[in-house]
Amino acid sequence: MKKSLLLLSLAGLFVAGCSTTPMDAPGDPSSNYYGQDDPSTDSVSSESLGLDELRSNVLLTQRSVFFDFNKYDIKPEYSDLIGAHAQYLNDHSAARMILKGHADYRGSHEYNLALGQKRSVAVKEALNSLGVSDSQIETISYGEEYANQECQAEACGQDRRADITYEVE
Amino acid sequence: MNTPQFNFDFIRNSNIWTTLENDHNLQANLFSFLIHFLLFIFMIFSIQWQTKILNYAEVELWDAVPTQIKNKQIKKEPKKIKKIKAAPPKITKEQLKINEEAEIKLKKKKAAEKKALAKKKKLQEIKKLQAKLLKQEEIERLQDKVLEQEKLDQIKDKLLEQEKVDKLQDSIRDEELVKKPRLAIEADKELLAGINSGELDRFKALIQQKIQQNVNNQLCGLDRVELEFEISLMPTGDLLGEPKMTQSSKIASCDAAVERAILQSQPLPIPKDNKLFKRLKDLKLKFHPNGHYDL
Amino acid sequence: MIFRIYFLLFGILLLISTPIYSLEVIEILGGKASEIPIAIVPFEDSVGISGQKAHQIISKDLDRTGLFRPLNTRGISKPPSSDININYTKWSAMDAQFIVVGKVESENRNKRSIEITWSLIDIFKEKTVVTMKYMGKKKQYRAIAHKVSDYVYEHLTGSKGVFHTKIAYVKKINDKKYSLNISDFDGFNSKAILNTTQPIISPRWSPDGKKIAYVSFEKKKPVIYVQNLKTGKRTLLANFKGNNSAPAWSPDSKKLAIVLTYNKNSQIYIINSDGSGIKQLMRSNSINTEPSWAPNGEDIYFSSNRGGSPQIYKINITNDDITRITFEGKYNLSPSLSYDGKLLLFLTQDQGKFKVAIQNLISNQVLRLTKGPSDESPIFAPNGHLVLFTYKDYGKTTKIGTVSINGLKRVPIKVGNVIIQEPTWGPVID
Repeated sequence: MKKSLLLLSLAGLFVAGCSTTPMDAPGDPSSNYYGQDDPSTDSVSSESLGLDELRSNVLLTQRSVFFDFNKYDIKPEYSDLIGAHAQYLNDHSAARMILKGHADYRGSHEYNLALGQKRSVAVKEALNSLGVSDSQIETISYGEEYANQECQAEACGQDRRADITYEVE
Repeated sequence: MNTPQFNFDFIRNSNIWTTLENDHNLQANLFSFLIHFLLFIFMIFSIQWQTKILNYAEVELWDAVPTQIKNKQIKKEPKKIKKIKAAPPKITKEQLKINEEAEIKLKKKKAAEKKALAKKKKLQEIKKLQAKLLKQEEIERLQDKVLEQEKLDQIKDKLLEQEKVDKLQDSIRDEELVKKPRLAIEADKELLAGINSGELDRFKALIQQKIQQNVNNQLCGLDRVELEFEISLMPTGDLLGEPKMTQSSKIASCDAAVERAILQSQPLPIPKDNKLFKRLKDLKLKFHPNGHYDL
Repeated sequence: MIFRIYFLLFGILLLISTPIYSLEVIEILGGKASEIPIAIVPFEDSVGISGQKAHQIISKDLDRTGLFRPLNTRGISKPPSSDININYTKWSAMDAQFIVVGKVESENRNKRSIEITWSLIDIFKEKTVVTMKYMGKKKQYRAIAHKVSDYVYEHLTGSKGVFHTKIAYVKKINDKKYSLNISDFDGFNSKAILNTTQPIISPRWSPDGKKIAYVSFEKKKPVIYVQNLKTGKRTLLANFKGNNSAPAWSPDSKKLAIVLTYNKNSQIYIINSDGSGIKQLMRSNSINTEPSWAPNGEDIYFSSNRGGSPQIYKINITNDDITRITFEGKYNLSPSLSYDGKLLLFLTQDQGKFKVAIQNLISNQVLRLTKGPSDESPIFAPNGHLVLFTYKDYGKTTKIGTVSINGLKRVPIKVGNVIIQEPTWGPVID
């Protein structure tokens, strides 16, 4: 009893002593404290997540939507790809997608972070319009941080993208 | 013969008046004095005379403009009257209609012509005003010229006087009184010839350009600032003494930079003509390092 | 006797003639940007300093400003070390307008502490402007030389010298090794205050000089930390859902403007420096990022593509009025304000090249300071007269350098052969 109390109080102190991490922003719903690590996949079976399908389907194995310089509108050639992923998410309510936006190195780091974010949001909204809810999608951006710094301007097309990833992977 | 003495005895002793009659030397001297006096009066009069021209010019110019308008108006009216009489009234229904239409047209014409007249009047009024303004500008220009002329004349006067005094003081020592006034007049003439405003402006521009190139206005901040310095020059173009700041920019680095610009610009371009140099040897420099001539 | 009449009459004329004193006036409009030629004479050294000498440090400092032209003083026979017996003619012939002379000595034969006595001499006026003596440890030699630069700079330009200040920047050693470093403004004495395996961006020094805020990707997404420079300890300022980035300190160092995404577009918020009191500043469907606080504490400048392409705007915190600031060019980013609020520094795309530009906020005139093609991250020095920025060396490796605000001098800052980016400038210390 005492031991668990001690452990509990220690844990409590630990949490309290943690640096000032903000929890909710007033006036803004759905703000969560985003945890450090990916939640474990043990709780959901791989079957219910259709992982085989994810790994073998032609469209589902394609994970990148590419964009023009300074743009975040989705080109028509990607509608099939997005459709396939939307289907997958609708079929597997436990699946969680993380969209990661990227930009090429031109422009400032912060603006490119915002641009990458716009790209992942664009894909999310395309999925929304196909019936996928926000509870299954997370959007983040890496901007130009993982872009090729040595490509020549227009040839940096590889970096202007939004990557589709799934939590389970 | 006599050494000059500053005492007033000779007036008190009042022998002058009798000696005036008898002394031929005295008459000659009086005559030369008269000439000087006349010259002096002449100069005073010459100034007055110019201002009189001014007034005369103003009046004359005005009279020319209004008469022209009147003539134009008179010419127009007779034409109108003729047109109205030209329409013959045959009274049929059709004719009535035609007449009515014609009347409407005429009314419109009249209205249009009225408008055109009004426009013309307005234009002419504007032209009047413009003419007025132009005249005013011309007048102001003339006034400026006159003022300049006055200044020049004043300077001439003073120079003349100074020259006279100088020369007189010399002549008191050597008794050549008759020759000296004549020499003084000759010297004055030369002086007048040397003062040519075109040359003066040219050197002023050269000096302005040379100093401006050296003003490092980066040290004067971003706002409008003004500085003033007074300098004295030697015939070599180098400064005599230090530049004297008479208005500060309130920015120490700017004041220092402008002073350096002046010092750096030595020797300044200086006319070889001595009289012209005298006009330029003391200068007031006004700086606006960040541009913007005031509006 | 008639002489007397004459004399009297002209005496009267003399009396009545008053002397005029009318000066010719010359108006001089404008000027020409130029550099003050100054000779920094090698200091007499009885201590034996190794490494860069004072005259080299001072010359390089002044050279960066674009306001001075340090003359070559190598090989001068019998260089003066004090203001006694200065051969003004000789220096004048070299076109020097000022010279700096000095000597380095060791007090009490204790070689660990030194004394530097120096003079600034005006060659035009042929007089000494100032003579000073600085004392310190031998290892503070560079700092003392920078102090001399500061004094000379302040005296001749009227602006505060920044040669004693520090900068911070991100070093990318390889894809898995990043560090946040602090060094002298010229790159010397660099040391790391953070080492991570993930990218670090947007470090920002607080105006009070005590902390640096920065964005780290170590949590696999961008979050904002504030690190105390004295203790080395850091606190997590913002870890909301989505991105947390672009920290910008308020002039009193009590608040920060930051950018959050909350699963949607980047928007600007204000938060207290302890992480409390988050407040959304604007709502819009476009990108809004890169906040930069104006010194009046009332306006925040930011970049946004609400007009179609990225431009710089400002928002008033009290009444929420938004005004557009940049109109030249189709792509303007990364606003940075001078300490007096008169100048705006930003990144502009001109003919496909990214260049650093400066805009006078009163006249709205724009001047491009660099040539690109891949320049970024322009940051003002605390005196508003020097700019820190990044460029690509040989088109590949990103490096940092300074450029003077008249655009005349671009000089690299050497801190090693790796990618150096995202600089920030520390404040002036009185």
